[in-house]
Amino acid sequence: MLTILALASVILLGIVPQQSEAIVIYTGWERHALVGSDIRLSCSFFSWRWTSDDVTFSWSYRADGARDSISVFHYAGGSPYVDNKGPFRDRLEFVGNPGRRDGSILLKNLDYGDNGTFTCDAKNPPDIVGRASSVRLLVFEKVPIQAGVITGAIIGAVLGLLVLVVVIYYLMRFLVARRVFNLSVSKHGKKGKGKEGSQQRQVPVLSIGDPSKLKAAASEKKKQESRKDKK
Amino acid sequence: MLVLAGIVVLHITAIILLLVATIDNAWWLTDSVATDVWGRWELSGSAWHYTNLKGDYAEEYLQVVQAGAVLACIFSILGLFVFVAQLFTLTKGQRFTFSGALMLISCLCVMIAASIYTDIFHKQDQGWFGHSFILAWISFVLTFILGVIYVVLRKKSE
Repeated sequence: MLTILALASVILLGIVPQQSEAIVIYTGWERHALVGSDIRLSCSFFSWRWTSDDVTFSWSYRADGARDSISVFHYAGGSPYVDNKGPFRDRLEFVGNPGRRDGSILLKNLDYGDNGTFTCDAKNPPDIVGRASSVRLLVFEKVPIQAGVITGAIIGAVLGLLVLVVVIYYLMRFLVARRVFNLSVSKHGKKGKGKEGSQQRQVPVLSIGDPSKLKAAASEKKKQESRKDKK
Repeated sequence: MLVLAGIVVLHITAIILLLVATIDNAWWLTDSVATDVWGRWELSGSAWHYTNLKGDYAEEYLQVVQAGAVLACIFSILGLFVFVAQLFTLTKGQRFTFSGALMLISCLCVMIAASIYTDIFHKQDQGWFGHSFILAWISFVLTFILGVIYVVLRKKSE
């Protein structure tokens, strides 16, 4: 019985890695940037194997409207190779950390001609089967307001204001009631706190016993006023 | 008792109208398009297609209209709960000021949203205002009436 179980688990362990031995590459989906600014295009991957010393990253660029793509960056054998002839010469910098599976690049001083699709392909030998991932770069003169930002901000601000007003209202009521309670208690000397000197400020007109009588007096007054009738 | 039931029914009606006005994309209609405030339905052939609103619209004003409509819904629903709570907690003879205030704020929000929409969008387009737009203005009237009722009403003995 145990031997059959052991055999089955070994077979399963043998099958499963075969299926999951594809490398998965992550980049963004779309990036927005202003003309003249810098942008960091991130690329990382997931692999079942340990990061090998022969890990490679390569970035290629296809301009909007162009049919073919050119290679702009390659990392292999422990050293990065940046574009020194193409559209990104002197503007591309490697800011990733291959040991931590990060193959990000930094593009400096963007222009409208940099609109296009950047594709990152990473390989972690022997895990080399995988699909490259692309990120679209959009360069704007003025970054447009994302859908829903203003909506969310207005809703949040108004609701927050409402909560604040309610909290302040109840706090004021609580403080006023407590103040009247404290003053009336010390006036009748029930707890004998011995702080007579400090209570010489203005005692409010209602020197009634406790706050519950306060409410009763107020609603008594309102009871005498006219009430809405049934129609 | 009858008055109470009538007021609650009126309030629920106002909430439903506000929800329909906010959720249904039918503030502006033409023969083949039903649009605003979240998206655009276009009839091509015999099938309706949904697309995003972007580009040719004033983005900031659209988002203010969205926020106003959503806030109006939220405040009217809150108003209903506060009214029911105040029915049980108010002492005799007091007014339902908190519920009235919430309803008046809701009225203000839907008024802001509907007026901005009326004034900014579709000034030169062919078409007519759709049912969501009309419901928004009707709920403005309803929430105003309800707000005034709550502020004036006093609690009877219970």
